[in-house]
Amino acid sequence: MTETVSPRRLRAIFALFACATLLLSLRVGYWHTLGRGELLESATDQVRNDLVLAAQRGVIRDRNGALLATTVPLRSLYAIPKRIGDHDARVAAAAALAPLLGTTSDAVLGALESGAEWLFLRRRLPEDASRAIESLGIPGLGFETEPKRLYPNDAIGAHVLGFVNDDGAGQYGVEGKYDALLRGVPGRLVVERDPKDRDLAVGLRTARAPIDGAAVDLTIDLVIQTSAERWLRDAMVKEKATGGSVIVLDPRDGAVLALASYPTYDPSAVAKADPQALMDRAVSWTYEPGSTMKAITIAAALDQHVVTPNTTYEDKGYAIIGGRRLNNALGKSYGVSTMTQILEHSANAGAVFVGSKLGAEQLRSYLLAFGFGAPTGIDVSGEAVGEVRPLAEWYPVDLGTISFGQGIAVTPLQLAAAYSAIANGGTLYRPYVVAARRDADGEHRTAPVAVRRPIGADTAATMRAMLTSTVDNGIAKDASLQRFSVAGKTGTAQIPSDDGRYLDDAYVSSFAGFVPANDPRFVVVIVLERPQSRLLGTLTAMSAFRGIALDALRSARVQPDRP
Amino acid sequence: MRTFVAVSAAIAFVFLVAMLYLAETTTVATRGYEAQRLAQQRDELRRQNALLEVESARLDSPARIDAEAKKIGLVRVATIPVVQLEPITAKR
Repeated sequence: MTETVSPRRLRAIFALFACATLLLSLRVGYWHTLGRGELLESATDQVRNDLVLAAQRGVIRDRNGALLATTVPLRSLYAIPKRIGDHDARVAAAAALAPLLGTTSDAVLGALESGAEWLFLRRRLPEDASRAIESLGIPGLGFETEPKRLYPNDAIGAHVLGFVNDDGAGQYGVEGKYDALLRGVPGRLVVERDPKDRDLAVGLRTARAPIDGAAVDLTIDLVIQTSAERWLRDAMVKEKATGGSVIVLDPRDGAVLALASYPTYDPSAVAKADPQALMDRAVSWTYEPGSTMKAITIAAALDQHVVTPNTTYEDKGYAIIGGRRLNNALGKSYGVSTMTQILEHSANAGAVFVGSKLGAEQLRSYLLAFGFGAPTGIDVSGEAVGEVRPLAEWYPVDLGTISFGQGIAVTPLQLAAAYSAIANGGTLYRPYVVAARRDADGEHRTAPVAVRRPIGADTAATMRAMLTSTVDNGIAKDASLQRFSVAGKTGTAQIPSDDGRYLDDAYVSSFAGFVPANDPRFVVVIVLERPQSRLLGTLTAMSAFRGIALDALRSARVQPDRP
Repeated sequence: MRTFVAVSAAIAFVFLVAMLYLAETTTVATRGYEAQRLAQQRDELRRQNALLEVESARLDSPARIDAEAKKIGLVRVATIPVVQLEPITAKR
């Protein structure tokens, strides 16, 4: 006997299948029409890679093309612990890796057994270490490249270069000031990838190429920079000074040939640096300059024709101004002295005499004209302004003290720029460190900027002769060089304390000068903070000046100007 | 019979076109992989070149040369004699 299905049941089953088919068709229809885009996108997402293409950070070179900073992709070692194997395999891997990573096998094993599925064992490995690790052939290890800023000269030029932090941003120096220019513009690549994670040549691909950062050529001369740092370091060690700086300028256009600051740091290892070492003491630090400022006071007085080099005064060893007595160093008196002899003896009383002839208003006006109390506009980060107080804040005695460089705050760079104006015939140039930048549009050279003429050419020539005599016959004899004329002035300044007085037993020793005096090519300013030999710190400063000047003259193959 | 031949020819033609398309696509994909391999090789060579340039700069560094010179006992010359050009020219 056969069992029959009732027509009602058949109709129900048919209706069920019909409904299911209809629903399925509608769904398929939806995905092929309205939902097509969404479906495509989610399918493509599984194989699509959206990558940021890093722009290459610009290279920095010195004026002769020597490499100062560049970015190189270094290999970072990662591990997938599960793929290395069991505990014994990890122990063996840790033992093999430890000496190459410069750590203990326990530390490596600890990382491998930390429970992480994927981890970096060491980022940005030296090339030889990465090759040695690669040759071990340990499964579960791999490399990714990450950009690293390298400075082939280590700490040389650290303060002018600055550094790049872990986020790839430039900090301090040229790296900080020109960060936007150096870093470039990242690109983008959207591409489909196969199961082996390789780019597919067919299919979706959109790309925007990165624009690499501009290459930058500095005015810095690596040979002179190295010399400046070496002589500064030696002076610092000899004097056990707390800080120091050197600036070497080309007085003909304001180009910075060397800029050194101590203590210093390695820009490749900033994390290990003392925070104090990051300060650029040539640009970002101010001090009372002391007697190096006498040259500026006398230049102003000569330019105003209130004195001549042969004007005389009676030096009693002190001067009285504003009811205060201002003494010469060590209380020495020099009798009847000329303006040239004020510089030769570094007589404070003489500077007060000149300042009084000039008057506070004129003195302040010349200080500002020489660029003190305002940023020079140098193209590195963090320039300090210094201080030339408004006339309303001057006590009568200030005319005297400021005439010999106390009661005014300057940066070593400002002083170097002012001496450059004397050296080059009277033009104050804006110091600069970037000579040119090169990008896709070609080379863009920096034009020197003549800011103003604080003194006339005749005054500048007279000052060059007077400062030459200071080295040949006066207090700065230790700065003289065989067969080269040298012009310059020493400076020993007291350090103001927090209570507004001066510290009894601490000084800033400095020397500012230029060579050859007859046709200056290099202006050198060296400053030593708190030298242990105190008043004799200028001897060490002059010794460093002589070394730097001689190295610079040799490097530039400057002909001697004396028999 | 003619119909059979025509249909067979059409099928063969479509097959050939499909094969050509597949061959073309495969070639493009293969070339793509080759291009990618070459690009990786280029990037690695560039990287090696950059590392060599850094090494060269390290070796050329005046500070390093100075230190190496000291190690082998060299000292800086006190004076460098400069020969004036004019007198030599005058003798000729």
